[in-house]
Amino acid sequence: MMKKGFIASLATTAIFAGSLVGSAAGAQAAARTVTVWQPQTGDTLAAWQSAMTRIEKANPGLTIKDVGSVDMAKSLSAINAGNGPDISLSNGAGNLGWFCGSGAWQKLNAAISSTKGIKLQSTFTAPAINYSTSGSNRCALPAPGGTEVTTFYYNKDLLAKAGFKNPPQTTSELLTYSKKLTTFNSDGSIKSAGFIPWAGYASNDMDAMWLGWMFGATWFTSSGNPAFVSDTKWARAFNWQKNFIAQVYGGGDYKKGAALVTKFAASAGDFWGGDNDFVKGRVAMMTSMDWMSQMFCDLNWALNPCTKPVVNFGIAALPMDDRLAAHYGSSPVGGALMGISKGSKNFADAWLVLKSLATDAQLATDLSNATGSIPTLISLQNSPKITFPAFYDNVYSITQNKYSGWHGLRNTGAHREETEMNNFMAAWQAGSVSNLATGLGQVVNTVNDILANNYSAGSNG
Amino acid sequence: MMSIGSVLVSPRRKARARNNSKRLKARAKLRTPWLFISLCMSPWVLGFLFFTAYPMVASFYESFTRFDLINSPTWIGLGNFRRMFFHDSLFWTSIRNTFWISAISIPLRICFALFTAWILTKPKRGRTIYRTIFFIPAMVPTVAATMSFTYIFNPAVGPINKFLESFGIKNPPLWFMDPRWSKWALIILGLWGIGDTMIIYLAGFLDVPKSLYEAADLEGANAWQQFRYVTLPLMTPVIFFSAVTGIIGSFQYFTEAYVAAGQVLDYSHSMYFYATHIYNEAFANYQMGYASALAWILLVITLACTFIMLRTQRRWVHYPNGSLFK
Repeated sequence: MMKKGFIASLATTAIFAGSLVGSAAGAQAAARTVTVWQPQTGDTLAAWQSAMTRIEKANPGLTIKDVGSVDMAKSLSAINAGNGPDISLSNGAGNLGWFCGSGAWQKLNAAISSTKGIKLQSTFTAPAINYSTSGSNRCALPAPGGTEVTTFYYNKDLLAKAGFKNPPQTTSELLTYSKKLTTFNSDGSIKSAGFIPWAGYASNDMDAMWLGWMFGATWFTSSGNPAFVSDTKWARAFNWQKNFIAQVYGGGDYKKGAALVTKFAASAGDFWGGDNDFVKGRVAMMTSMDWMSQMFCDLNWALNPCTKPVVNFGIAALPMDDRLAAHYGSSPVGGALMGISKGSKNFADAWLVLKSLATDAQLATDLSNATGSIPTLISLQNSPKITFPAFYDNVYSITQNKYSGWHGLRNTGAHREETEMNNFMAAWQAGSVSNLATGLGQVVNTVNDILANNYSAGSNG
Repeated sequence: MMSIGSVLVSPRRKARARNNSKRLKARAKLRTPWLFISLCMSPWVLGFLFFTAYPMVASFYESFTRFDLINSPTWIGLGNFRRMFFHDSLFWTSIRNTFWISAISIPLRICFALFTAWILTKPKRGRTIYRTIFFIPAMVPTVAATMSFTYIFNPAVGPINKFLESFGIKNPPLWFMDPRWSKWALIILGLWGIGDTMIIYLAGFLDVPKSLYEAADLEGANAWQQFRYVTLPLMTPVIFFSAVTGIIGSFQYFTEAYVAAGQVLDYSHSMYFYATHIYNEAFANYQMGYASALAWILLVITLACTFIMLRTQRRWVHYPNGSLFK
């Protein structure tokens, strides 16, 4: 009797649950409906939804269901469960190798080159094409309004006071500037710093990336192997870092400099607000994303009109190694991406919507004006409809530089090659790495292990 | 004779039979309503099946697979375990950190909670207020407490270092920002929120019969001897409970370390614990198969430590006569 009762209750629940799943599956199967999941909210989401309405009007019979506030983690879970959207959006370019390699986003190569395709070179800026490509596999298009540029900020007042009119363009100049801009307290601690090349200091988690970029270091070889040892520019970059700390802060003694910088970095003010070291003038130069200029213009994050910025700042490209002076003007450029999910039941319509969204000039204009993001469309470069403060011209020129772009991407999961290199940089500066080449070799092994444990379906990395 | 007997007995039997049938009917009415009970229990049973049993079985299977949430699990045998022991340096980092915090924090927590609870048995007036004051930190949400502590221990603006500097200490620790001090800062944070453990010890102290102290007093035992030979033995079951739950908890140590590490960018992994490693592999790296293998190793380690504790308890845990746990 007990068994019967138990089985009856189990069956009832199972039938109820089954009916829920069935009805959900039935609802998804509606014809000519494309579902879009994206992390946007508020005004930016409204701009996206306006663009979708335009696409629906231009394509009678097509319905676009847009859901905001959904990050990629949720989208991935749903894609895995078979209930994912047709199109999903991801902020940032770092995970592209993962999405392409794992097959979470479908290959678009055939769709792009078809008659209903898109001419990438004449539509998108070069960096946008670069950061949305993983090897020869294209599984994403650049999303409008999502470009982000790693830039070099400098305090104009402090530089002028030290006799510098322009920002440093080479790593040698950066060292000279820093020496002159750094001041010490009577007890020997750092009072204000020039530039701090230090993992964990005001970095947006991008330390190894900007350091590597300044020296032209590559992340993967052409055959897809980690290049941290084979590309000697990495070793040059890390040696430069130590020399910089020793020269600027330690009077030639790295240990002394590192101890002072550690304490200085530990006492940094809150990065997000008026206590930010750059805002307070505690540090004269720093690397950060272009969108940080919104905070430097107005603590309430308003880029326009920026007539009374909270700190008199300038924005420029990253200084480059003296040997790579010709590359000055370039910087890492990434951006938001969107792709068609694995399991999308309506690829043709999903491609239509994806392409239309990526090339919607009105959407790109609205988002650029709202977020300060450089448009990905060539047709909108220097468009009078987009209003940026004058200093943004430098960000424009970075995105138009032929050397700008993103580093090579393979399926390391959530861009773990960057995490591993950041960790290495921290260990290196802390003095835990006795041999640079051996240490970098260990990072290569780790990244190789990660690659071996990740799928590489549909991607050659 | 038979017929007479049968005639004589028959009415009784009939009556008995009637009674029996009544009893049976009554019993039928009183019969355990299994269907109803099953229906009442089914939410829990279904919850257990779907949210405990199934995930455990699934994670056991997935621990032998490569599973990235996007593609179906692929059987790789012991590959995840080989990777764990021979190729994953962070696994050993997390193990080292977890054992370190267990070895240091559990005894410290026990001593501190014991001492605090003992102190709180002393006041004759305002006991409730003191006990409430000491318990309040345990009610503060862990995330909020950790974020507050990262501020309190901030080397530049935090009050702790200001206080230390006022005593002439020129280079006070950088706390969360120094790999040598970060775990100590976490331990101090844990000791601050000791209220929940302290309450258990307080109950244990109050449970010690006064007659034992009176007898000890008559025997001439001083305060220390009373504590050593009366209080402490009777507190050992509570200490044992606290140690076992402490070990289990320390292997699952996550929130404080995760929040603090995120606040200060702990690139050195000095606050990287085993639970953080499982979380990162599962939800940052989406290596569900590998994370499942890590979780099963955690279960094995926890079971082994608990088993060792249970085996050693006979040597040092004193249960009062008649205790259910003797």
